[in-house]
Amino acid sequence: MDLQTQESLSVKMAGNQGSLTDAQKKDLETALPLWKIVMRQFLEHKMAVVSLGVILFFVLVAFSADLIAKGLGLDSNRQNVSARYLLPFSRTEIPNDAKESSIETWISENPEKSQALSKALIDKQILMSQRPADEILFELGTKPQTEALQLFEKISQPEFVSFKKMLENFGSFHLFGTDEVGRDVFIRLIYGTRVSMGVGVMVAVASALVGLFIGSLAGFYGGIIDTLLMRVTDSLLSLPLVPVLIVVAAIDLQKLPALKSLMNPENESIVKMFLILCLFSWMTVARLVRGSILSLREREFVLAARTLGARDRTIIFSHMFPNVIAPMLVAITLGVGQSILFEAALSFLGLGIMPPTPSWGNMLNNAQEVIYKNVWLTILPGIMIWLTTISFNFVGDGLQDAVDPKSIRR
Amino acid sequence: MKNLCKASILVILTLMYFVSCTGKKNSSSSVKNTELKIGTSQEFETLNPLIMTMSQTTYMYHMTGRKLVHMDPDTKWYPQLAKEIPTIENGKAKFITVGGKKKIIAEWEILENAKWGDGVPVTCHDFAMARTIALSPNVSIADKESYDMIEKIDIDSKNPKKCSFTYKKARWDFNRHGTFYPVPKHLEDEPFKKFNAQKEGYEKNSTYSKAPTNPGLYNGPYLISEIKLSDHVTFIPNPHFYGEKPKIQKVIIKLIPNTAALEANLRSGTVDMISTLGLSFDQAVEFDKKINAEKLPYLVTFTKGITYEHIDFNLDHPFFKDGRVRRAMIQALDRESLTKSLFEGKQESAIHFVSPKDPWFTRDEKYVIGAKFSKRDAEKLLAEAGWKKGEDGYLYKDNKKFSVNFGTTAGNKIRELVQVYLQDQWKQVGIEVNIKNEPARVFFGETTKKRKFDLAMYAWVSSPENIPRSTFHSTSIPSTKNGYSGQNQPGWNNPKVDKLIEDLEIEFDSKKRTDLAWELQKVYTEEAPVIPLYYRSDVSAVPPNLKNYRPSGHQFHETGKIEEWTLE
Amino acid sequence: MSTYILRRLIQTVLVIIILSYVCFYIMTLMPGDPVELMIQSNPKITSADVERLRALYGLDQPAYKRYGTWVNTILGGDLGYSRTYRVPVEELMIPRLKNTFILSLLSLLLSLAIALPLGIYSALNPGGRFDSIVNFFAFSGISIPSFWMALMLIIVFAVQLGVLPAGGTETVGLNSENFFNFVKDRGTYLILPILSLSVQQIGSFIRYARSAMMETLRNDYIRTAKAKGLERKVIIWRHAFRNALIPLITILALSFSGLFSGALLTETVFAYQGVGKLVYDSIIANDYNVAMISFIISVSMVLLMNLLADILYGFADPRITFS
Repeated sequence: MDLQTQESLSVKMAGNQGSLTDAQKKDLETALPLWKIVMRQFLEHKMAVVSLGVILFFVLVAFSADLIAKGLGLDSNRQNVSARYLLPFSRTEIPNDAKESSIETWISENPEKSQALSKALIDKQILMSQRPADEILFELGTKPQTEALQLFEKISQPEFVSFKKMLENFGSFHLFGTDEVGRDVFIRLIYGTRVSMGVGVMVAVASALVGLFIGSLAGFYGGIIDTLLMRVTDSLLSLPLVPVLIVVAAIDLQKLPALKSLMNPENESIVKMFLILCLFSWMTVARLVRGSILSLREREFVLAARTLGARDRTIIFSHMFPNVIAPMLVAITLGVGQSILFEAALSFLGLGIMPPTPSWGNMLNNAQEVIYKNVWLTILPGIMIWLTTISFNFVGDGLQDAVDPKSIRR
Repeated sequence: MKNLCKASILVILTLMYFVSCTGKKNSSSSVKNTELKIGTSQEFETLNPLIMTMSQTTYMYHMTGRKLVHMDPDTKWYPQLAKEIPTIENGKAKFITVGGKKKIIAEWEILENAKWGDGVPVTCHDFAMARTIALSPNVSIADKESYDMIEKIDIDSKNPKKCSFTYKKARWDFNRHGTFYPVPKHLEDEPFKKFNAQKEGYEKNSTYSKAPTNPGLYNGPYLISEIKLSDHVTFIPNPHFYGEKPKIQKVIIKLIPNTAALEANLRSGTVDMISTLGLSFDQAVEFDKKINAEKLPYLVTFTKGITYEHIDFNLDHPFFKDGRVRRAMIQALDRESLTKSLFEGKQESAIHFVSPKDPWFTRDEKYVIGAKFSKRDAEKLLAEAGWKKGEDGYLYKDNKKFSVNFGTTAGNKIRELVQVYLQDQWKQVGIEVNIKNEPARVFFGETTKKRKFDLAMYAWVSSPENIPRSTFHSTSIPSTKNGYSGQNQPGWNNPKVDKLIEDLEIEFDSKKRTDLAWELQKVYTEEAPVIPLYYRSDVSAVPPNLKNYRPSGHQFHETGKIEEWTLE
Repeated sequence: MSTYILRRLIQTVLVIIILSYVCFYIMTLMPGDPVELMIQSNPKITSADVERLRALYGLDQPAYKRYGTWVNTILGGDLGYSRTYRVPVEELMIPRLKNTFILSLLSLLLSLAIALPLGIYSALNPGGRFDSIVNFFAFSGISIPSFWMALMLIIVFAVQLGVLPAGGTETVGLNSENFFNFVKDRGTYLILPILSLSVQQIGSFIRYARSAMMETLRNDYIRTAKAKGLERKVIIWRHAFRNALIPLITILALSFSGLFSGALLTETVFAYQGVGKLVYDSIIANDYNVAMISFIISVSMVLLMNLLADILYGFADPRITFS
């Protein structure tokens, strides 16, 4: 490949500019390793580069989901039944039970201050209440925020500043609004990134490995093994996917003891989804690998290796795999997109990731009934799915262009 | 390039033509008695009354077929095809003893002018025919009991409209034939005789399947003029109907399986009303708000129902063996607040298994024990039972965390909402519940049937004054011994309850029956094998000029009086 | 050639038989059966009823026996009886198959009509502005979840603008003898589903067409044609396009295989009475007969279309021979 590059480059240069500078001559004479060629080629594909940036951004966001949640004071699981279906950019308060828990913690952390505060409230008759004295702080705290702060102002003494801070934190701002149980959509989309992208990438990689294994066996050994494996692959490819996914998703996996150890109730649906998607995504890679190996098998360098007495294993791993990896990488990136879409479809039907774990697909599950109520609940998760999938597709396309020897334009 | 332009212009023009042809339909403010289009979201099957199992089919059947008796929206029984209801009190029914067993024999007489749609009179032979078919082993009838409870039918040789029923068992509810449907002997006798030898032979060849528009199949106010499964059914008035002539000249019931599309179709005028088997509750509440905000010409009806939404405890679970824990879990829930915030108060919270519409209902504190919401009382009970709060805020006992599974049918938004709400309330007292939902078939087919749950939330459909043998009696606990039949999923085994149920079945004095029912409610609330949540309300959306429409709120649908509906 | 076809046909039949057994077996692994769901809607069913119904439906027998019974009835010409609707399966499926066929065929035609020209023209100027825009739309198309597209279309056209129906197959009660009115009415219900189905198809067809065309244009004989001085139009249509069609035929044949398996998601969202929705409903309701028949139809379509694609490919490309 290096020779070709040099030749075409020198022809081009000779044709356009005449003689070469010293730097360019040096450039010509150094042989570039494959990955550098691929990277340079990749960088020329603008959309692919942008998409790679988008993906890295999402990955970063997914990893730092907890930090973001803490920093913004949002909780992806906290539902607020009085604040359902809020539109984007709306403000509300956290629900009463969360408030009570907060106050309870404050009381246990500041026993003398709470005594003093209660006393002050009763003395100054700010609150007329039939409740016993130790409940007066709850009464104050669970009032609407503005009212509570106003009443608090009447006793404002510097030692009670932490209580005031707590009251102020009772407000919550929802960038993307709230869903059908009052949970913040923004933070759920972020946690959903973890699940959806995580499942997508894991499935694509795992199924590619399975496909690699099967495809190489079939391609290398040929004969009966090949026919058998290919028949199996073809049969699986001819299955109408969505119905079969539904059927398999309905089986109770806990009947298999080997898998039981991997699962606890929260993860169960994710593991099930992972296994199901893997089972049905390895076929294209297998075909690809088989085709590659079939053609590679007849090449001279394999013949040479065999003459030198290399074992089958060595030939497969050291000689064939590197040539197969490039198209496989492309298949993996495209496969991620496909897996994300499948997960979304299954979760949309109610058979995939179970709530309360957020995934973009299951956030859309409720969308159909609420399109009259709050369209943003439908629009936003869909946009996220679209953005991630299209980015992976562009990256795959860029890789494809970069790796395909016929399109190297140097 | 030219070809491409031409092609795209053509496509755009076609689209524009189609779009212009539809336009925005004006919502009908002038639905008249000429035609009423009812939208529904539930599937229906062939209208053979012996085979039907879906509620939508029953809904439609009540428009075309009448039976001996029916229940009105106030839960009172009234005669339809029968001249009067025979009771012990009015002498039309008597006790007899045959072979040492106490039985009942009752005189039934069918209305003079009751006829099938082709003019043939309705007689007792039609009821006998139905019973014969139902008892045949090759017919896949679901509820055999309604036909099996009658030991024999003796038809008066002089007047085929008079007959006497002998009942196997002397039960006080013998005359409540709400699910005993007649079939026209003159049409069904032949297919039955010819095909009954094969399994399901009769139902595949019955006139209901082969010629569903034959007027002789129906004796109600409407006949079927057109039926297209999974799509729609068209009804026209029956000229031979014995009662008052129906006012609406044509009724079409249209199936739109997608509830959002259903609402859209209502607003665009494709359907004029949505039946009680159409909208989801959440949707109805939203729609109601929209109607008020935008002054739309519809009315959303909320009718209190008797479907009982509840959570079963698995009484074999070690945590739930202690009654204090169960009562604590109930008291930790603020059910009033749940119905107010999730349902805007339009569904009623439940205190036990008997609904307020039921004549046996009582709220008397003598019989309803300890169901008030009190977080601190709950915490006290839990502490008494030996549970202590750990560092993470959850309860621990003997180094075990109080963590249980909570399951319901996946995909049901209201239930999922409720689950999340309850999960949070229990978290406040230190109990962790893990939501574990499954599709209905798994949930009912495996989890609840084989009692593999900790907490299970679902609903019981029942009828008023229903004796809870299959849900409370100790013989109804599903296990390998009884082939997993029986619906006593919690596993409640209480001899006192068993006796109350057995006594209820044979008590003929209505005051004494009510007392027994109240006792049952007392044990129920005291022992708390189940967490009562709320009673579902039926919702429907109608045009404001529909008069005499009253949803029933129970399984005997309001279409039993559809001849009275009118659009003014 | 004919031996090849014969061999493939036999293999196809074998595969269908094996797959049908596997599918049947998996369905029996699914918990619940039709009787369970009956219990839910009727409070009066007793345990004796449940046992009786189970025996009647043969649900208490092992899987292979039930499969055997099913195969026997199929071979006898009786396609079975739907548990949920209580009608023969053919009666249920034929109108639905018709509906799905109309929907899939129309959207396939629309996608081809839009995608092929776009793909080919963008291949003529790779990297140009037209190409970049078309490419972006193509990628968007394949990256959008089809059900989401459907929901978006509903929101825009049915909810906000109110010009198209939000779902359904046709206006009920419309007994139009007039064929034109019938077509017009069905048309309004078909517009949105077709649009949402074709978005993904257009995306992938554009990509295939573009890459096939670009492959072809790179060949030496194109350079020869240019050197010969042939008109641009002739080069594109007579030489490049025809050869680009070869790989496209394979893709096309594979798309035909999806004609009957039904766009399950689209049909569900639009409540369109097609086969896809029927399959989903029947699987959920454990209605074995319907599910198995639809399953066999889709599998056979795919396998037959694969075979067809291979044969067509052989005809189109004279370089390929069959061993």
